[in-house]
Amino acid sequence: MSLRAHLARRDTGLSAFAGLAMLLYLAFLIVPVLLSLETSFTNQNVLSASSGFVGLANYREMLHDNQLDAALEFTVALAAVVTVVANAAGLAFAILLNRASLSYRVLRTLAFLPQVISGIIVGFVWSWILSPSGLVNNILMKVGLVSQPVNWLGTPHMAMLSVSIVVAWVLTGFTTVVYLAALQNIPRELYDASSIDGANSRQQFRMITFRMVAPATTISVVISLITVLKLYDIITALTGGGPAYATRSVAMYIISVGFSNGAYGYASAIAMLLLALTAVIALTVTTLLRRREVDL
Amino acid sequence: MIDQQAATPVRVPPLPAASRPAANKRRLKRATRLAIALLVILAFVSPIYLTIVNAFKNNSAIDGSPGSLPLHPTLSNLSAALNQPDHVLQLGLRNSLIVVVCSVVLLIPLGSVLSFWISRKRSRSRRAILAALAAGLMIPPQITVLPIIHVLAHIGLDHTYPGLILSNLGGGYLSFAVFVYVGFMRSIPAEVIEAARMDGASSLRIWWKIIMPLVRPATATVGIFLSLWIWNDFLNPLLIIGPLTGQTVTVGLYESVSNQVQPDYGLQFGFMFLAALIPVVAYLLVQKQFRAGLTAGATR
Amino acid sequence: MRRRLLAAAAAASLLLLAACSSSPASSAGKKVTLTYLTFLTPDLTAKFWSTSIAAAEKSVPGVTIKQDVDPTTDRDTYAKQLLQAGSFPDLLESITPSLYLSAKLLTPYPSSWINANFILPNNIKGKDYIPPTNSQIIPLVYYNKSLFAKAGVTPPTTWAEFMADCAKLKAHGIVPIELGGHDSFAAAMPLTGALSADVLGSDPNWIQQRYAGTVKFADPNVVAAATKMRTLVTDNYFEPDALSVSYAQSITNFNDGKAAMYPMGSWYLGSLPKSEWNNIGVFPWPTNNGSLVIPFAVGGSMAVSSKSPDQAAAFKFAESWSLNPDNLKSLISGDGAFPMIKGKSLASYGLTLSPAFNSSYSYVTSQNNKVSSMSWATNDNALPGNVVNDFDAVAQALFSTSNVKAQMQQLDQDWASATASS
Repeated sequence: MSLRAHLARRDTGLSAFAGLAMLLYLAFLIVPVLLSLETSFTNQNVLSASSGFVGLANYREMLHDNQLDAALEFTVALAAVVTVVANAAGLAFAILLNRASLSYRVLRTLAFLPQVISGIIVGFVWSWILSPSGLVNNILMKVGLVSQPVNWLGTPHMAMLSVSIVVAWVLTGFTTVVYLAALQNIPRELYDASSIDGANSRQQFRMITFRMVAPATTISVVISLITVLKLYDIITALTGGGPAYATRSVAMYIISVGFSNGAYGYASAIAMLLLALTAVIALTVTTLLRRREVDL
Repeated sequence: MIDQQAATPVRVPPLPAASRPAANKRRLKRATRLAIALLVILAFVSPIYLTIVNAFKNNSAIDGSPGSLPLHPTLSNLSAALNQPDHVLQLGLRNSLIVVVCSVVLLIPLGSVLSFWISRKRSRSRRAILAALAAGLMIPPQITVLPIIHVLAHIGLDHTYPGLILSNLGGGYLSFAVFVYVGFMRSIPAEVIEAARMDGASSLRIWWKIIMPLVRPATATVGIFLSLWIWNDFLNPLLIIGPLTGQTVTVGLYESVSNQVQPDYGLQFGFMFLAALIPVVAYLLVQKQFRAGLTAGATR
Repeated sequence: MRRRLLAAAAAASLLLLAACSSSPASSAGKKVTLTYLTFLTPDLTAKFWSTSIAAAEKSVPGVTIKQDVDPTTDRDTYAKQLLQAGSFPDLLESITPSLYLSAKLLTPYPSSWINANFILPNNIKGKDYIPPTNSQIIPLVYYNKSLFAKAGVTPPTTWAEFMADCAKLKAHGIVPIELGGHDSFAAAMPLTGALSADVLGSDPNWIQQRYAGTVKFADPNVVAAATKMRTLVTDNYFEPDALSVSYAQSITNFNDGKAAMYPMGSWYLGSLPKSEWNNIGVFPWPTNNGSLVIPFAVGGSMAVSSKSPDQAAAFKFAESWSLNPDNLKSLISGDGAFPMIKGKSLASYGLTLSPAFNSSYSYVTSQNNKVSSMSWATNDNALPGNVVNDFDAVAQALFSTSNVKAQMQQLDQDWASATASS
């Protein structure tokens, strides 16, 4: 037997196993996405007598759908705002917590906890905290910052703000950990050398820290964006998409159209839009940030 | 930036009076820093603190003093949560545990084998496969949940737990596992693998005997994150399992808590506390592996 | 060779997993399990359901009923979700049957049985999909007599009087109207009242005409009616932060005398505490000219899925449950339901009911202008698709926008997409 055939035989077990993994991926990701794409060209609806191919009709309808526009605006704005806030806070926390003693280790452990709690719990607890008679209002009134309880979840704009705060809170748990890992890889000599050169901590941050965490920034920002774009459970538990659909993200709109309206064909078209949007945002941001990494 | 620890005790003559204030100043600075960090982080995790303390207060205490520690701690909320109709909480915990353990135990070998297979050759097809796997990280579950139900229905596993576990094996979770492993496998020297080959080992054997031990931090990272995400997964169990087959704890929690026309906050907090207990305790227990996995992974 | 191995490995693993799946008990044989979509309210408690279900199960030996409790107050959305995910229940309590008809998902009850047992049928194109066991008036305006006396106002009959009363109450530091706007169906009560009274009051066939396309929500008369909701918002007649007050909280607030009026479906009567029986009165939503218009909605128990394997058993259970006077008693005293069973007067149930209940019930029994309650009717006048939710959302939206016409135009758009897909 030739060496090649010999080696090929040795690979069989591994290849079979790898093939199984790929088969599962095919069956439960690729195929469903393709099925969804196919459905987006039909007017499938569980509540209607029949359904058939309608070409691009669903996509045309999306152009006139005001509710979709509102959901898109909210989702993209949420993703942008939360990503910036969570990454800034995460970097700040990471710098704050990057010390060796036990107390800091405990604090670092605590900082990740928002990620450990289910999004449903996060939404419910925060809706209680932000209720008119809830803790936040109690504190604000006691301190005297406001004279009336603030309506955190009752008006569209306040609800959007509250959702941003809660999602940023959850995401900061993640970004802190990413930046901590990155900070621990910055050689101390860099800081020591710059101190000798007379740099103050602000300059050290700008010249060293901020630049050296660039690769982590890329990963963290892209993952933050992707995570917020497909977010469902936190918002559902916090506001249910209200009031008056003001905090209904695109992901929630898809479920609402597909499952509550039964218009599965149209929902699939919107889902394709969300997928394309996510891909475009992820790729653009990755490219820009990667370029920044190189430049730095 | 690792701070200097206090100097190790060494026999030195007493410091001249002039530098004692400087040492005190440094100590003050360090203490202030710690105090700030403490305040910031405790404020940050206060919602979790609130969930814990309010699980042990009755409703009037929750309304009256929502932020304080329980003055008269009570277990009534927890017992009420455990005595819900159909033992929703206990069954939910059991179901969640089964799903997480089965999914992760299968995802780790699947992910690492696929990564090993991909990492061995640098061909275009393999890079294309990586790109296809990247898609899995970006795809919102809303797109795939309904077609997955149809796929499962074809093999008769819709609305079953094996079906849910199966669907977990072939999505973003697998992508995540592959990417983490690929990063770690890059740092394994090719000579080690070549040597094993020369000894006549099959690739699968090499994977099991050599690769897996070397990528233990990756396995820890993958195991921890996937367990967390699968435990907290909401949409997939909600729709794939459906309401009649018994729920995972996350879905059960949602349905119990939102089912209250007149919110019984004590019961809600009790339920949430018990539902979050396992993941939080598990997280605290695997802290060392968690940190090891992250710091090692940061080098990739 | 490699490919064959791959396929074999794949097939083997899938088979292994399939084998691990707990095979459901075979449904062939005497044991039939029917799923029943139910929901919880303060009065329709878990105990109520288990008791009522057990009682009706006696009439169908060999059949077990498994409850699927809706985690929300929106039964239709939940039912559609189950349908989409392939778990449509066999029996569905209090859904809107018109939504499921074009896909032929429900089986109608025999007309002979309906006509023999009920005062009024609740037809959709001549067929009943839900036994019309009770009815509601949605909304009525409940008012606190002592707060009215304090401000020196009396129950209004015209809209102008209503607005004057609100102003007077507010001048006396009393919250005129309790809304509970966090739950969208509660937020929409004034909107339902205004459109039922003004639009359907002058033209009871308006909804049919809307289906025909000859009228629209954006028509001036409808916009004028909807503007009343906006006016109540801008004049500040609702409780402060009305959109964050939950429905449950609004009941407590009104019962505690924190507001003078409460526009709500007559089911509120079930939450009227005995201590307040003599203090709460009721008047219908006022029209412009003071004529009496009653927004009526016939309701009932459960619909039967056409896909249910054992139709005979399903109907037997449903009929037994629906006619059980004990269930109706709970519904009357706990849910303010007006009984519609033939040959059974209200007195025959032997219940002591509040004066407000009896006043409300008098509107049912007397001859007057009964119209369908806008967005609540479940007969031919039911709104299509998801339009009910969009209707409710308009009420909430009117808290932050003054462009009533645009909201009505959006509603027309929602109507168009809902009817296009059926």
